[in-house]
Amino acid sequence: MRIKNFLRHPVVIFVLAQIAWLSLVGMWIYWYISNYIIFELVGDKISTQFISKSANLLTLVVGLFLLVAILTSMYLIFIYLNKQLSLTRLYDNFIGNVTHELKSPLASIKLYLETMKLRDVPRSKQNEFFALMINDTNRLNHLINSILNISKLEQKKIAHNYAVYEAESLMREIITKSMHQFKLPPEAVEISGNTDCQCMMDQNAIKIVVDNLIDNAIKYSDQKVRLTINFSVGKKKFVVKFADQGIGILPDDQKDVFKKFHRVYNQNSPNVTGTGLGLYWAKEIIKFHRGKISVHSPGAGKGTTFKIELPIYDPLKKRNLKSLFKNPFLKKIIFEEV
Amino acid sequence: MKNNQFSGSIILLVEDEEALAKGLEYNLTEEGYHVVWAKDGKQALDLVRTKEFDLIILDIMLPYFDGFEVTRLVREKSPEIPILMLTAKTSVDDKIHGLALGADDYMTKPFHLQELLVRVKGMLKRKMWYKKVTTAQPVYRFGDNEINFENLKARSGKQQFQLTTVEAMLLKYLIENKGKIVSRKELLENVWNITSEIETRTVDNFIVRLRKFFEPTQAEPIYFKSIRSAGYMFVGE
Repeated sequence: MRIKNFLRHPVVIFVLAQIAWLSLVGMWIYWYISNYIIFELVGDKISTQFISKSANLLTLVVGLFLLVAILTSMYLIFIYLNKQLSLTRLYDNFIGNVTHELKSPLASIKLYLETMKLRDVPRSKQNEFFALMINDTNRLNHLINSILNISKLEQKKIAHNYAVYEAESLMREIITKSMHQFKLPPEAVEISGNTDCQCMMDQNAIKIVVDNLIDNAIKYSDQKVRLTINFSVGKKKFVVKFADQGIGILPDDQKDVFKKFHRVYNQNSPNVTGTGLGLYWAKEIIKFHRGKISVHSPGAGKGTTFKIELPIYDPLKKRNLKSLFKNPFLKKIIFEEV
Repeated sequence: MKNNQFSGSIILLVEDEEALAKGLEYNLTEEGYHVVWAKDGKQALDLVRTKEFDLIILDIMLPYFDGFEVTRLVREKSPEIPILMLTAKTSVDDKIHGLALGADDYMTKPFHLQELLVRVKGMLKRKMWYKKVTTAQPVYRFGDNEINFENLKARSGKQQFQLTTVEAMLLKYLIENKGKIVSRKELLENVWNITSEIETRTVDNFIVRLRKFFEPTQAEPIYFKSIRSAGYMFVGE
């Protein structure tokens, strides 16, 4: 695995490509000169058949092989650079979004502080300002945590505390917490389904996924938020569907929404805030759970449905036991059960 | 604040951040202005179509239509409303883009409250000055050119075009000081109400545009002359 990764590194590919073309040139020069010398010395005395055919063939085959190797390397380097370029572009996008997200609450806090310094603000108004400032500091805190979480996610540290849960009841609990956090009234969310299965989950990580889906449903709704959540059981899978009635996602954008730093922004978008990380996290976290997340939207203005599939817990699977053993609290219990 | 001669002016505040909008509304109202708040670009455009405003404070990153688009569309209909861009976008390119589209001033977040209030007042003052001088002499002619300062329509020979408010104010200021050398700094302070190295280039860009509109040969200007290391001078007929 390590060798494979080493060979994929663009610098290694580049060095190998250099070696390949230098060998190719060297070999062909050698071939040409040796043939030339033979012809010079004895060319008119011997028949051409005398010159080894196998040596020529070998030179040709090895030469072609090296040529293909060079072309492949160049192609791989090109792909790598292209990927880097698009990531850099998205990263610039991310910096722009984060700047906006950081500066807006900061500007608002500064404005209120300066207002209170400049004017004689009545007590009731002051209280209103304090509440708004606290709200802004919470927003800043949330954003800073989000940025710090990127590295955790890259190091796969974000989902590490796995345990076996009754999938639906844990999900319902997380959704209720999330609704409370986003101040969604109970009538805005309709939850249905009656499943009976267990999944191995990290509840904090799953909360991040649910938070992001609910936050998106709120941000990308033109009118009042209407969210329908459904639980079902598929083939060895626990399935959760989050369907909103928001502005929808155009088919071209659907494949990109899970990409890091990607944000959909157009004239139909009722929202401009965000970092372009939420759905990327959701995808990565679900991937750590060996599940799948997908999006479907019939088009602009027709709502969006996110589907999460998580594997149903099977105690006989070695992998599951291994993951559980990593959890210090569960280690003991499982050990006793086994 | 009392004794504000512009008290009662109607300001359109376009800002999607509710907390910021509320704070600004409170302060502007305390200054005696009447504030109308639009949460997004769409709402702002609807309001501009139906109501008269004395000034627009405009964020750039807005839902539906961003601030640049709003400026462009507002300028098509009302070239004379002063627009102050108030945004988290700090790059020089964004600043130049905003000013080129016709914004009159540009401030970045986080901003100083008092500076903002002074700038708002300055813009309203310039608007009033502009109104006063244009009512006295709405049409001005020089050479083959004619400018109507009321509707900001200009004509050079047979060619007609629409000026932006900044272009018109710059023209007006130069005409008012006909035959005198006007420094870039003076222009910045009186037309744009800003001071910085970056914006010096903005003055030059605008002069280039005026020359493009009105000079028979751009490379050899006869009306808008550059006075080396001093500034510009308008030479009318």
